[in-house]
Amino acid sequence: MAPGEKIKAKIKKNLPVRGPQAPTIKELMRWYCLNTNTHGCRRIVVSRGRLRRLLWILFTLTAVALIFWQCALLVASFYTVSVSIKVHFQKLDFPAVTICNINPYKYSVVRDLLADLEQETRVALKTLYGFPENTSRKRREAESWSSAWEGTRPKFLRLVPLMVFSQDETSQARDFLTGRKRKFSGRIIHKASDAMHVHASKEVVGFQLCSNDTSHCTLYTFSSGVNAIQEWYKLHYMNIMAQVPLEKKINMSYSAEELLVTCLFDGVSCDARNFTLFHHPMYGNCYTFNNRENETILSTSMGGSEYGLQVILYINEEEYNPFLVSSTGAKVIVHRQDEYPFIEDVGTEIETAMATSIGMHLTESFKLSEPYSQCTEDGSDVPISNIYNAAYSLQICLHSCFQTKMVEKCGCAQYSQPLPPAANYCNYQQHPNWMYCYYELHQAFVREELGCQSVCREACSFKEWTLTTSLAQWPSVVSEKWLLPVLTWDQGQQIKKKLNKTDLAKLLIFYKDLNQRSIMESPANSIEMLLSNFGGQLGLWMSCSVVCVIEIIEVFFIDSLSIITRRQWQKAKEWWARRHAPPSPQGQDNPGLDIDDDLPTFTSALRLPPAPGTQVPGTPPPRYNTLRLERAFSDQLTDTQEPAES
Amino acid sequence: WAEGLMKGECREEEGLGPKPAAPQQPTEEEEALIEFHRSYRDLFQFFCNNTTIHGAIRLVCSKHNRMKTAFWAVLWLCAFIMMYWQFGQLFGEYFSYPVSLNINLNSDKLVFPAVTICTLNPYRYTQVKEELEELDRITEQTLYDLYKYNSSNTLGAHPRGRRDLREPWPHPLQRLRVPAPPSGARRARSAASSVQDNNPQVNRKDWKIGFQLCNQNKSDCFYQTYSLPDTSLSSGEDMLDNFIFACRFNQASCNQANYSHFHHPMYGNCYTFNGKNNSNLWMSSMPGIKNGLSLTLRTEQNDFIPLLSTVTGARVMVHGQDEPAFMDDGGFNLRPGMETSISMRKEALDRLGGNYGDCTKNGSEVPVENLYRSKYTQQVCIRSCFQENMIKQCGCAYIFYPLPKNAEFCDYRKHNSWGYCYYKLQDAFSSDHLGCFTKCRKPCSVTSYQLSAGYSRWPSVTSQDWIFQMLSRQNNYTINNKRNGVAKLNIFFKELKYKTNSESPSVTMVTLLSNLGSQWSLWFGSSVLSVVEMAELIFDLLVITFLMLLRRFRSRYWSPGRGGRGAQEVASTPASSFPSHFCPHSTSLSSSLPGPAISPALTAPPPAYATLGPCPSPSSLAGAHSSAYTLGKP
Repeated sequence: MAPGEKIKAKIKKNLPVRGPQAPTIKELMRWYCLNTNTHGCRRIVVSRGRLRRLLWILFTLTAVALIFWQCALLVASFYTVSVSIKVHFQKLDFPAVTICNINPYKYSVVRDLLADLEQETRVALKTLYGFPENTSRKRREAESWSSAWEGTRPKFLRLVPLMVFSQDETSQARDFLTGRKRKFSGRIIHKASDAMHVHASKEVVGFQLCSNDTSHCTLYTFSSGVNAIQEWYKLHYMNIMAQVPLEKKINMSYSAEELLVTCLFDGVSCDARNFTLFHHPMYGNCYTFNNRENETILSTSMGGSEYGLQVILYINEEEYNPFLVSSTGAKVIVHRQDEYPFIEDVGTEIETAMATSIGMHLTESFKLSEPYSQCTEDGSDVPISNIYNAAYSLQICLHSCFQTKMVEKCGCAQYSQPLPPAANYCNYQQHPNWMYCYYELHQAFVREELGCQSVCREACSFKEWTLTTSLAQWPSVVSEKWLLPVLTWDQGQQIKKKLNKTDLAKLLIFYKDLNQRSIMESPANSIEMLLSNFGGQLGLWMSCSVVCVIEIIEVFFIDSLSIITRRQWQKAKEWWARRHAPPSPQGQDNPGLDIDDDLPTFTSALRLPPAPGTQVPGTPPPRYNTLRLERAFSDQLTDTQEPAES
Repeated sequence: WAEGLMKGECREEEGLGPKPAAPQQPTEEEEALIEFHRSYRDLFQFFCNNTTIHGAIRLVCSKHNRMKTAFWAVLWLCAFIMMYWQFGQLFGEYFSYPVSLNINLNSDKLVFPAVTICTLNPYRYTQVKEELEELDRITEQTLYDLYKYNSSNTLGAHPRGRRDLREPWPHPLQRLRVPAPPSGARRARSAASSVQDNNPQVNRKDWKIGFQLCNQNKSDCFYQTYSLPDTSLSSGEDMLDNFIFACRFNQASCNQANYSHFHHPMYGNCYTFNGKNNSNLWMSSMPGIKNGLSLTLRTEQNDFIPLLSTVTGARVMVHGQDEPAFMDDGGFNLRPGMETSISMRKEALDRLGGNYGDCTKNGSEVPVENLYRSKYTQQVCIRSCFQENMIKQCGCAYIFYPLPKNAEFCDYRKHNSWGYCYYKLQDAFSSDHLGCFTKCRKPCSVTSYQLSAGYSRWPSVTSQDWIFQMLSRQNNYTINNKRNGVAKLNIFFKELKYKTNSESPSVTMVTLLSNLGSQWSLWFGSSVLSVVEMAELIFDLLVITFLMLLRRFRSRYWSPGRGGRGAQEVASTPASSFPSHFCPHSTSLSSSLPGPAISPALTAPPPAYATLGPCPSPSSLAGAHSSAYTLGKP
């Protein structure tokens, strides 16, 4: 015998594993009901009368069901949050403020690049709407172009022709450059048939974008010619600007000294050095105040317009690109220092010749992430790489997602968003059909077919500044007389002309009050609360406890199973024995013992000690014990101690 | 209480049981359908042995020790009082229906709200000129009389010229002293109050300008124009092309299906974009200007009615799809020559209805008929309520509010004094004598949009040439005064995050029950099933009392007269000296078949009960168990 076997046998001898005492399931149940602390069970056994017993079974089962139901409700409502709103009065950090001129580049500088495009746009305007090409202001230049026009062939209109459609027959379009009628088989994205502007000419303007093989064409129509021209212009503009290097673009745009005429923060003068440059593809040079780059974050000590940022902006309206932007002013956005300013989406416009006061109110929100909600702490668990050099936000994710998809599908990146690694901006030379691809993709994005909206999750904490805008006429008629000359003199180096009222805009950004509202979520339930509620439910219905639950598990699962297996084992053994040796002594023993000892053992076991005198209950215990002992051991040992016997 | 009901049924069954079931019972060998204890002593002993109520077992079972009993009685009582005090607190808290406020920050793609834009000009002046001519003339004359304002240069030469004004119109505009003359009594007072509240008024020292409406006179004045809504509606229809030059949503053109038209008596032609009847609602999946609604509007002032429209531009309002647009409640005026960018932020509020707060889910329980055929809002209700009162008191419907069934709009030709009645009603309304504000409850869910606007000059100097040219060419219409003739509007979501303020019950049924259970366990260690045990005990007591009374009654009156069954029963039951299950029919059975019917299971307990006369303490019971276990070991 191996030493291992010896140890095993020793362990088995000293720590015997015994099965349940009850011989049958029925006995086991009866024993359990009599001895458990759980209310109701005992009554099932001790009540007399079948109706009474049935009722008690019903009550007990109802109580169990109620416990389960209520506990399920408790668990289901476990992941709820409670919200607390706190209002602090404190010195508040001033947010970053990004200011852009609506016009990206000085038109006089950028004109060389866009000369061809402008010319073709004017031609298109003339052909479409009879717009006189030679307007009073640009007569000279236009004349020089029209002479140049003869030589060069129109390249932009050839690439993406502007069309005029008649209202009734959308399949037929007139390419206004050649004037000949064309048949269109491509699908029309915007149904022009029921466009709301049924003007007299019944014509709709649009352009056509085709993929590489010209079989797939998409027609974009616009109900208004203004929109069509602008959209068409923008497409080509992006294409041209995508090829210009960044340094050149920065130089073409406005400098900080130029844009900011005066600056005052918290009563202290500031200047262009307090602003950091941020180049936006569609808005040119933007300047961010309080960007943390050069120093610590500024804060305001008081609320009110006196203590905020006051700037006067120089908006040179004459340098505006006539086709790209149609409105005059500046855009401002208030954001966190590490946030990307989405100026094109959420900027607030500032009007010229006006003083715009923007009062801010800060609200901070903190959400709980998984499993309470779907938000993400820092975006690291979102499967979209952040192409912006800024903290995660939902919008950054959506834009990044679109840009990534664009690079995937079209092979190049869209101009108005940052470049992902190892990609470059789209242009005609390399990607002749990127426009078609872009438009298709954008439509799919809006229809949520790209899956960006489902992948991107919101950020868990965010600050938002609620803005209240008010306007006042500025400068006033009487102050205008001295204000404008002084400012002109101030800006003598940058601006070589006399300032006009409509060239300036005043902007005030300030905290309305120095209270900050924090909305914070916290778990409404803790595990202790859940447990105590469980305890309450168990106690209320059945006066049960965790010990009872363990008891139930022991009796109903372990013991019952072992009884069943024991029974099966016995049967198998019997069957085996009968097969080998027909007269089996064991087979007779068991049924006889069961019948004899069932009732006395379990009913009397409880009341055994106080009644030693009576002979009826007095007799069974020794029998039962010895029997049980034998049985338990014989059962256990037959299979466990086999090696020892052999 | 469910158990109580069960018991009731039980008793019925029991009451019915013995007679019809008696012949069947003997076939059942084990036990009867329901059995009762033989005596109170048995019952109590049984209860004492088997109850699960802590304390009670001590109280009842320690009866041999008086001191102990008293001690346990005091303890039991204290625990009982504590428990019920706590229960009272818990129930009190629950039935005060406290709510806790939840703020959910959601971000989702949003349904773009309905946007209504009005021209700020009720009718084209050229078309309603004839109808309004006389009114205009009177107004001018009044202006001249009061302020020496010569308006002939503004309105040009009238075709008919100035008629003699010797015969004044009813309700002349006049200067009124603010302190009403006391002689005027009621009529003058009401007029003065209405002047203060509702009339166009000009402050000039202590004088006020107004017109007096009295119920004898015919009424006319400004409202005459409004009582003719059908005159120029048809001509207003085709104004859309002239009003909105371009419309884009989410970079796509709008079409006919996206808007609906209605006419507002003050604000003119109104167009609701993305309203209720838009085939598929606009969704915003991205924030920003590009993904919102962009409109180019015409705001020419040529054909404004000079004396009615004093403002120029357009009026825009953002509201929910199924809410009517109350332009004077939540409008936003647009300046001409400007690009107005309105950024929206959605906010939703959900209140708990029912016991938790005074709000209504859909307005069906509010005693005011919704005249607008739209979703219930408080404004809708208040206006409907006013109209209802107007019809009740003045006999006609106010022109600005919708017409209820079998009523007609007020017309000075039919209803002479409706103006007077209206102002009186308005007075009562604003001081809430009509009860509209109390009748109209808050709706349970409200969606609001916070708007903030940014302005920029549009079109810019460099681009205005081609833009004006193009707009005029496209619409076959020349824009005369350039920049004042156009306006641009962008409406977009600033962010897709939105806040939902919702209420939730801070004490739910589940937590209430949990708390009750905790308290119960803590003080009493019993459960609902223990209560059922108590109920059973009481029921048993009652039944035994009843049976005993019945038996005594029978033995006294029936047994001497009629031997038969009753005598046998009475004789047999006391004969069984040891406590057995009392069952009227089973006793007869046991008497007839004494031997085999009594199963060993049933005969075994009696000796146990007898021996257990002094109640076994739980410790002894536990000892019995442990001994059973320990016996198993060797």
